[in-house]
Amino acid sequence: MSGGKTFWRSLDEYQRSDAFGEMLKAEFPSIFELWTADRRQVLRVMGASLALAGMTACKPVRSDDVVPFVYRPEGFLEGRTDHYATAVPFEGYAQPVLATTSAGRPIKLDGNPEHPAFRGGSTPFMQAAILDLYDPDRSQEPLMAGRPASWDEFDGQMVKWRDAWRASGGAGLRLLIGSTTSPTLLRQIAELKRALPQARVHLFDPLGGYAGGAPQRLRPKLDAADVVVSLDDDLLGPGPAQAIHGRAWGERHGDAQERMRLFVAETTPTQTGAKADRRLGIPPSRLAMLAKAIVGGGKVTLTDQELAWAKEARQALESTRGRSLLTIGPSAPPQLQAAALQVNRALGNVGRTCEVAAPLTYVPEPGGSFLDLVRDIEARRVSALFVLGPNPVYQAPGDIPFAALYAKVALRVHAGLHTDETGAISNWHLPLPHALEEWSDARSPDGLATIVQPVVRPMFDSRSLHEIVASLTADAVPSAREIVRKTWARQLGDDAAWAGALKTGFVAMPARAAAPANVIPPPSPAAAPKNGEVEIVIRPDPTIHDGSFANNGWLQELPKPLFKTTWENVVAISPRLAAELKVESGDVVRVESGGRAVEGPAWVLPGQPQQVITLYLGYGRKRAGRIGTGIGYDAYRLRSAAEPWNAVGTVKPTGERVKLATTQEQHLMDAEGADLIRTVTPAHPSALRNEEELDRTSFYPEWPEHDPAWGMVIDLDRCIGCNACVLACQAENNIPVVGQHQVYEGREMAWLRVDRYYAGEPDDPETHFQPVPCMHCEQAPCEMGCPVHATVHSPDGLNLMVYNRCIGTRTCSSYCPYKVRRFNWFDYTTDAPSPTEAQRNPDVTVRGRGVMEKCTYCIQRIEGAKVQADIENRDVRDGEVTTACQQACPAQAITFGNLADVESAVAGQRKSPRNYSLLGEQGTRPRTTYLAKIGDEPDGE
Amino acid sequence: MASRTPVIPLSESFGEITREVARIPLHMPARIPWLIAFILSLALLSLFLASITYLFARGVGIWGLNIPVNWAFAIHLYVWWLGLGHAGTLISAMLLLMGQDWRNSLNRFAEAMTVCAVICAGMEPIIHLGRPWFVYWMFPYPATMGVWPQFRSPLEWDVWAVMTYLIVSILFWYIGLVPDLATVRDRAKRRGWQVFFGIFALGWRGSARHWAVWNKTYRTIAAIAVPLVVSVHSEVSLLFASGQIPGWHSTIFPPYFVLGAAFSGFAMVAMIAIVMRHAFQLGHIVTERHLDVLAKVTLAMGMMTAYGYFFEVFDAYYSGEAREIATVHDRFFGAYAWSYWGAVCCNFLPLQLLWFDRVRRSPVLLFLISTSVVVGMWLERYMILVTSLYKDFLPSSFGYYHASFWDWSTYIGMLGLFLTPFLLFVRFLPSISIFEDKEVLAREQEEAARG
Repeated sequence: MSGGKTFWRSLDEYQRSDAFGEMLKAEFPSIFELWTADRRQVLRVMGASLALAGMTACKPVRSDDVVPFVYRPEGFLEGRTDHYATAVPFEGYAQPVLATTSAGRPIKLDGNPEHPAFRGGSTPFMQAAILDLYDPDRSQEPLMAGRPASWDEFDGQMVKWRDAWRASGGAGLRLLIGSTTSPTLLRQIAELKRALPQARVHLFDPLGGYAGGAPQRLRPKLDAADVVVSLDDDLLGPGPAQAIHGRAWGERHGDAQERMRLFVAETTPTQTGAKADRRLGIPPSRLAMLAKAIVGGGKVTLTDQELAWAKEARQALESTRGRSLLTIGPSAPPQLQAAALQVNRALGNVGRTCEVAAPLTYVPEPGGSFLDLVRDIEARRVSALFVLGPNPVYQAPGDIPFAALYAKVALRVHAGLHTDETGAISNWHLPLPHALEEWSDARSPDGLATIVQPVVRPMFDSRSLHEIVASLTADAVPSAREIVRKTWARQLGDDAAWAGALKTGFVAMPARAAAPANVIPPPSPAAAPKNGEVEIVIRPDPTIHDGSFANNGWLQELPKPLFKTTWENVVAISPRLAAELKVESGDVVRVESGGRAVEGPAWVLPGQPQQVITLYLGYGRKRAGRIGTGIGYDAYRLRSAAEPWNAVGTVKPTGERVKLATTQEQHLMDAEGADLIRTVTPAHPSALRNEEELDRTSFYPEWPEHDPAWGMVIDLDRCIGCNACVLACQAENNIPVVGQHQVYEGREMAWLRVDRYYAGEPDDPETHFQPVPCMHCEQAPCEMGCPVHATVHSPDGLNLMVYNRCIGTRTCSSYCPYKVRRFNWFDYTTDAPSPTEAQRNPDVTVRGRGVMEKCTYCIQRIEGAKVQADIENRDVRDGEVTTACQQACPAQAITFGNLADVESAVAGQRKSPRNYSLLGEQGTRPRTTYLAKIGDEPDGE
Repeated sequence: MASRTPVIPLSESFGEITREVARIPLHMPARIPWLIAFILSLALLSLFLASITYLFARGVGIWGLNIPVNWAFAIHLYVWWLGLGHAGTLISAMLLLMGQDWRNSLNRFAEAMTVCAVICAGMEPIIHLGRPWFVYWMFPYPATMGVWPQFRSPLEWDVWAVMTYLIVSILFWYIGLVPDLATVRDRAKRRGWQVFFGIFALGWRGSARHWAVWNKTYRTIAAIAVPLVVSVHSEVSLLFASGQIPGWHSTIFPPYFVLGAAFSGFAMVAMIAIVMRHAFQLGHIVTERHLDVLAKVTLAMGMMTAYGYFFEVFDAYYSGEAREIATVHDRFFGAYAWSYWGAVCCNFLPLQLLWFDRVRRSPVLLFLISTSVVVGMWLERYMILVTSLYKDFLPSSFGYYHASFWDWSTYIGMLGLFLTPFLLFVRFLPSISIFEDKEVLAREQEEAARG
């Protein structure tokens, strides 16, 4: 998995030579360090450091006092979990979370339920952020030229530098920061500029654009929109506002009175396109033309299909004035943003379905872009460069040789969570704390701010970014907590207000005045491909994003929503182009553009525009850690600074073939599969195919009625296929990561999977998502097969798995028609890197080798609620038990509860005409049922 | 009956038969070939031990299993081994009760083969467990927690079936062996042999009372054993038929499995008979007549198995169940079509040659055809298992199985577990029933005398 491994092995034979070791240590300190880092040793060291961390973290961090554990702190109860509101960053925005800690260890993150915009919704990235906290590859101490150093040494150096900067006004000093919304950091930058007027702060935002950051965009409010027309805007896909949009989507779907209609034109298939009522695949070169057709005016040359789509979209927009929305994706040409603003103004949508507001993220002043920094380095105007957070050596576009340029800077200081590609070639590398270990603040995409508070003591010898920035100018640096409090001194000056803000997890902030309305420049003609060329679309990877999540095992093993591939990125290619090139999924193709090339496995993606291929960023890391290093191809190599999202080039097969680690075979749904995903229409409001489906005749006695009778209903109309549920389940239930090879073998362990099906023409298919947990069948075939009573039924209708009793015959899985059971083929849990053990949920058994496991309906939560109800001498209330998947779902697609309680939400949903059972004809009587999608066309009956 | 050629040539004498058979343990005639075979099988046995050591150390993940195909070699071989074993019981017990004399030349080694095959079969479900050290949880021992096995599970029935079958097979084989052990004891010259056979002969003196008791016991156990053939393999088929998986969930499975088992078993007996006959020059005891009868039975069993194939397909189409039909299509044309067509070809094409008398009496041809059948049945068991599991109901959970190195090494090594005890049996025990053959000869001579 790790590219470093062969390297160590080739050094193996030298290992005994002391002289060689000495030489290595002297000459290549960073390699020497790698060399000593034998896996076991690393784990041992990690274990030790973790033990220390665990000890220091044995109480909730609320003050700086250390309370010895001789007396139990008041309010501390062994086994009880505590919750803290804080936030984790995503693209510089806050993702407000409620962190659950157990005995001082953070074990789970969920959306902050009190946050007005997120309301408890999660994204996979939010769920996975906790694993990064326990990443054994995080950097643990400052490094000077690759050698371990102390903060005192760094501070000693800093005194000298600071004196020089004071004398020169900061001439030659540059800071490079990533996209940020932190009010404290913005305040610090402003102060820095006052103190050192010659110093300059540059923004490095690979997802916003290298020339200055993200273009100004409308802030959509989907919950108010009856009609949404999206031009290449993946509203429901990964992004800082995914949970907010998902929530709005859920509210306007399913049983909603007014169902939102969604029109999507996209240059590459996305989750948003999958959920669209009217979807159109269009090459990037024609997107501007399509926008013109919607905006109106001017002659357009489009295909009939495109024209029809544009016409229908335009009509829908106009017929719902004030309740419609035209939105343009961040990767579309910036002029289109202005056009969209004009259209929404004209339709009266602004202020209702969208807002125009100044960007929340840091906007560099003129001369403060990444490209400006590159120019300044080339002109030798930079003597000291502080890279605070980002990883430009990896994420710079392929047409800028940033590694070479960076090396020209005399003083290179890198601060980050990892000694990454940039950190490895810096003079100083400074470890930053994880968001769950530090004081900071950030703003969520809706404009509210969240104070980021630590929920655990820093595990390593790290220092807050705010403290590092402060030390550039100040001799005595206050603690990060003081720095953050100072920012909020006016609004949260008194301790009660401060404590209140920490408790609720959000603070209102005045919106800055919107920028003046832009004038629309005419759409510039996009580069059209010449003969034999294809258009190339470059997008963040669906699970690894821009590469910053590369060392996260959960996200690596999380199936990409549309491909269901794991552990690497693919080159998406349309079925027609694949046929032309005689390429199948898994064939390696070479993509060339602008004299640079990458090679990656093709993935034939239904719905991909014909002459367009899509590359995904985030892979091909060289120093990501043991998980993320050396897998996939690096699409940044093909990016250009001027046009980061699109390119024109050639694609051809190399003749090589690789095996992709997919969790689901790719195929269209055939006639027999059509019953699995059902769609109701106004004409056919019932999901049932025939009367027989209501027939409950059986040879076996009915499962006795019991109160409670747990059941789950999953609304396919609401599900956006985002995978938040899958990762929430993984975090809650201690599900191991098994690695790429085991996924090849078909041994992924996810208890909950999201099945993806296609229907219709491969060029323009319907895409369906279907989350599949255990069905908890009343007549469970698995229970009959087990020879030792290891899988049995509880009176309240749960299909239980008794791990201790399981001997691993796997009969249950053979008999399971849904194949939701997962088997521990090896000892997956003992082999896991030791720090990640600290993340495990103490309420859930960690399974050993040779036992079967599966979804339990989060029985630990059910039991917890029952205990609480017993203490209060009452029944469990409806809604008191939420499963992890249900809690995480931003679209509220999952309902869980007591079917025996007629008043319960889940019983109400069961009565819906949309309710149906998966494989109901098998007579398994599933307790998990589905609500059919709602369509406006008959689904081919 | 009388018009038929005698099973054992009338020219044989009683003493000759005794000498012929008893010399094998006492004065091994084919010492070198036996030694080579034994070393080879010990090598295989070591491979098996190495494989299961690694298996127990790492877990069943070393095999190519996955979800959905979480059963493969271990289970399909379990069915296959058990099937091979059934012929021994059928030949010994059923034909004994039916008074078919020709079985007397074949029954001893066929029974030994059964015992060895059942031992192999019994190993498979144990090594396939995720946690084999808890196998005893399947037994109804007095657990302090008061937990019992789950009696609705076909796997639990397997435990009982295999245990019963193993015990009855060993008893039957050993009781049949006692008079011959006494014969060899009496002919042994060396003290070691005399003690060895003396102990196991249980003081047999051949008195009329001994024979009366022996006869009653032998036939009683035979009567117990015969239904076991049907019940054990029917039960094995329920391991599949009890699940709802398309391609398994069918009422034809029990007879289909029993017939298939007998089919492969008879082919196996024919193979062993031909090898023994050749190695120890026993052509006058295991005669062409024997081969002819074995071939006919194999042919009959084969045709009945073919009927099972036909009806399996018919059933799927007749049911109109889309998924059942899809499974049939997958078998015909899917990723594992080779196993289906391989099974059809190996099982039924060469088999048709057995309609010809000359082929039935040709040891070489019969051996080749029998080998083809044993391979064909191996493929059939694989096919039934894998082609049903790899695509069941939800297209999202379809997946493929590929046997790993360790799948093969465990299987090939297990041939050593079969061959080693069998070769020891051939080396140290009378591998053909002396007294029963003499019985046949006596009856034949009587009939001849009567004219």
